[in-house]
Amino acid sequence: MIAELFLQTLLDYLAMPQMWGLAVLGVAIGIVLGALPGVSSTMALAILLPVSFGMEPAQAMLFLIAVFVASVYGGSISAILINIPGTPGAIVTQFDGYPMAQAGRAGHALSLALIASTIGGLIGLALLVTLAPLVAGAAMSFRSPEFAMATVFGLVLLSFASGGSVFRGILVGAVGVALGMVGFDRLTDIGRFDFNTRALQGGIELVPVTVGIFGLAEVLRNMAAGPQGIPRIPPIGSLLMPARALARLWAPVARGGVIGTFIGAIPAAGSAIAVAVTYAQEKRLSRRPEAFGKGEPVGIAAPESANSASVGGSFVPMMTLGIPGDPITAVLMGALLIHGLRPGPMLFANNPGFVAGIYVAVFFAIVLTLLVGFAFMRAFTAILRVPRPLLFTIIALLCVVGAYAIRNSIVDVYIMLIFGVVGYVMMVLRLPPAPLVFGLILGPIMEENLRRTLILSGGRWEVFIERPISLTLILLSLAVILSPLLAAGWRGLRSRAQG
Amino acid sequence: MQRRQFTGYLAAAACALGVGSLSAPAQAFPERPITMVVAWPAGGGHDTVTRLLTEFLEQELPTSVVVTNVPGAAGATGVRQVEEAAADGYTLGVLGLHATAQSYMNENATALDRLEPLAVINIEPAALAVRADTGIEDFAGFLEFARANPGGIINGNDSPGGFSFLNAAFIENYFDIQLTKVPYQGYAPTVAALVSGEVMATTLPVPMLADLHDAGEVRILGVAAEDRHFRVPEVPTFTELGHGYVVTDYVMVYGPAGIPQDRRDALEAALMAAMASEAFQERARGMGLMLQPGGADDAAALMAAMDDLVYPIMEDADLVTVRAR
Repeated sequence: MIAELFLQTLLDYLAMPQMWGLAVLGVAIGIVLGALPGVSSTMALAILLPVSFGMEPAQAMLFLIAVFVASVYGGSISAILINIPGTPGAIVTQFDGYPMAQAGRAGHALSLALIASTIGGLIGLALLVTLAPLVAGAAMSFRSPEFAMATVFGLVLLSFASGGSVFRGILVGAVGVALGMVGFDRLTDIGRFDFNTRALQGGIELVPVTVGIFGLAEVLRNMAAGPQGIPRIPPIGSLLMPARALARLWAPVARGGVIGTFIGAIPAAGSAIAVAVTYAQEKRLSRRPEAFGKGEPVGIAAPESANSASVGGSFVPMMTLGIPGDPITAVLMGALLIHGLRPGPMLFANNPGFVAGIYVAVFFAIVLTLLVGFAFMRAFTAILRVPRPLLFTIIALLCVVGAYAIRNSIVDVYIMLIFGVVGYVMMVLRLPPAPLVFGLILGPIMEENLRRTLILSGGRWEVFIERPISLTLILLSLAVILSPLLAAGWRGLRSRAQG
Repeated sequence: MQRRQFTGYLAAAACALGVGSLSAPAQAFPERPITMVVAWPAGGGHDTVTRLLTEFLEQELPTSVVVTNVPGAAGATGVRQVEEAAADGYTLGVLGLHATAQSYMNENATALDRLEPLAVINIEPAALAVRADTGIEDFAGFLEFARANPGGIINGNDSPGGFSFLNAAFIENYFDIQLTKVPYQGYAPTVAALVSGEVMATTLPVPMLADLHDAGEVRILGVAAEDRHFRVPEVPTFTELGHGYVVTDYVMVYGPAGIPQDRRDALEAALMAAMASEAFQERARGMGLMLQPGGADDAAALMAAMDDLVYPIMEDADLVTVRAR
């Protein structure tokens, strides 16, 4: 039934020019706001929420969803071109996107990100439409113990996935986890490691750290290189990747889409976690993990698919249970409520046409983002033609603005500056910066869920091995840690047997 | 600091553009945009209601009203930013009971007497709900279960500064029972925990639970308000059940202490007019908000009443660490 309604609504929308206009407008605004560092998808939506008050509910949803979907792609444009993630969901895109652009393949990187986003978004939508109750059930069985062990698994993957020395990766990751402990403790609201200053009570925010450690550090590196060291302007290259190269990426894109949808559906997880897990996993699965971080296309394709798929995923708890999965869907839910529509199980029964309208809006937004994205891709890349000294000045300025905008706090600008220097020093010492960001994302989630699990179990640690999903995650983590040892042991045994 | 300078420049620019030369009286207020600080992230409950109100407030004022989100430290950072702003009526904010709780828990948080309430927007009464599969039918059954199994009720709530935590602590205190209070980061994760069965009860307010209640998955046992909640009219108040348990969170507009009287009056009048609008009320009710528009005196009275109610219970729960009375 929902399929019929979906088609019907799609045809209706296609016949209405004002819907086209609204969606294109939303996509354009979304790409621009998403590309601006410091303006996350959530903020873009919150800013535009009042604009939607005057619209009909269906129009309002189409407009806001178009902004949402497009901002996810917009975030990767700045990640690829200037090494600053426009939104938290784009934080890993730059690991390989920026090196790729610097190597003269900006066009490939952008179009790969766009195509992967589109496919990921469609995977997320398809799972939302067909399997929403199932995905919701699976996401709901993912509770505190599973969450805690999933982050352990994530950190284990990352320590092996950070390139070069495993030891350096673990070291930097541990620093990231420690930084995540600064500020109010999530369970007791007691300040920690804040040296009793007001500045650190609010904790160390992810965005200023990311902007500093990648964006500003890159500016510093170029400055330190002096006038002779300024690299020539890289060519943009052709926009479209060869179809054969694209086709080889189908598996990472599909995996990213499924993981992104699922993680997006877990309340309070969010796209930053989805991309972190996807990136770590692809690096682990890859036959040439050493290429990651140097412009490996898989490192763009999989996370981009994941962050767009998490859009569909984040709608799952909202549509099936009436719970906003993340702050972004909370804004959308706010918009629905203001129009007197209450998402949740009752909406399917009482107003299936509107449910179909939301699905169509997601579909519309994904397709239009693809079209608008391609239409303006040349224009985006024009930023690379800006003379280097001017470009780096603009990037430095954007770093400051982005860090300030995330919560209107000057402290975040200081944090960004400090991490800019930290990032530069890490570059000099050849320490990988990525694990620090992953530690900062995963550490607080691990701690919160670990401690909550122990409150729930009355201090019994056995609970982690009594629950099947949690046990599986522990075994997987152990397998990742022990496999090199076992492999070495096996080779040792064989060579002795032969000898 | 930087912000004030910046708005100063804005004002100067506005004057230079000749705004000041319009036929308005010398002390026209407001003559530049008003900043409304929300101490929670964009998209949260406080943010949504503020953005809605701002839409209507702008129709009552000759300037625009800009919402800025300054989250952090359980709402303390945003409130402090308003406290430290110039008391000229151009920096306002919205707050709830979190500001009261933080003022006793966090020495860097703002003391309530440094703030000046301007208007109440809505109240959000405390409530108590259980999963339907617990077999607990009503509040009497809940009390019976809790007394028979101290700590046996696994309750989902905020971390200690949040309203649903305070509500849980109040219920423990008021009815002399013991709950296992499990903290979550905000209302949505708490609802998810209740739906998934990780917790069996929750002390969240009504709007988050009304749908699940209607669907029969969750049973709301009581509402801690004077009147029943319009979203779930069949649920009794605790007063009706014979317990004088009335605790409510609220959203109110406030500014730093010391705003000149005439500006305060102008702001209060504009806020009341905005909230009287039919369209505002309709939309706010659609969001499940229990509107209780009230002026500065009502706001101050509500804040003081909840302060008196909260303080002894926080003291009992060892939550008062600074500014003991």
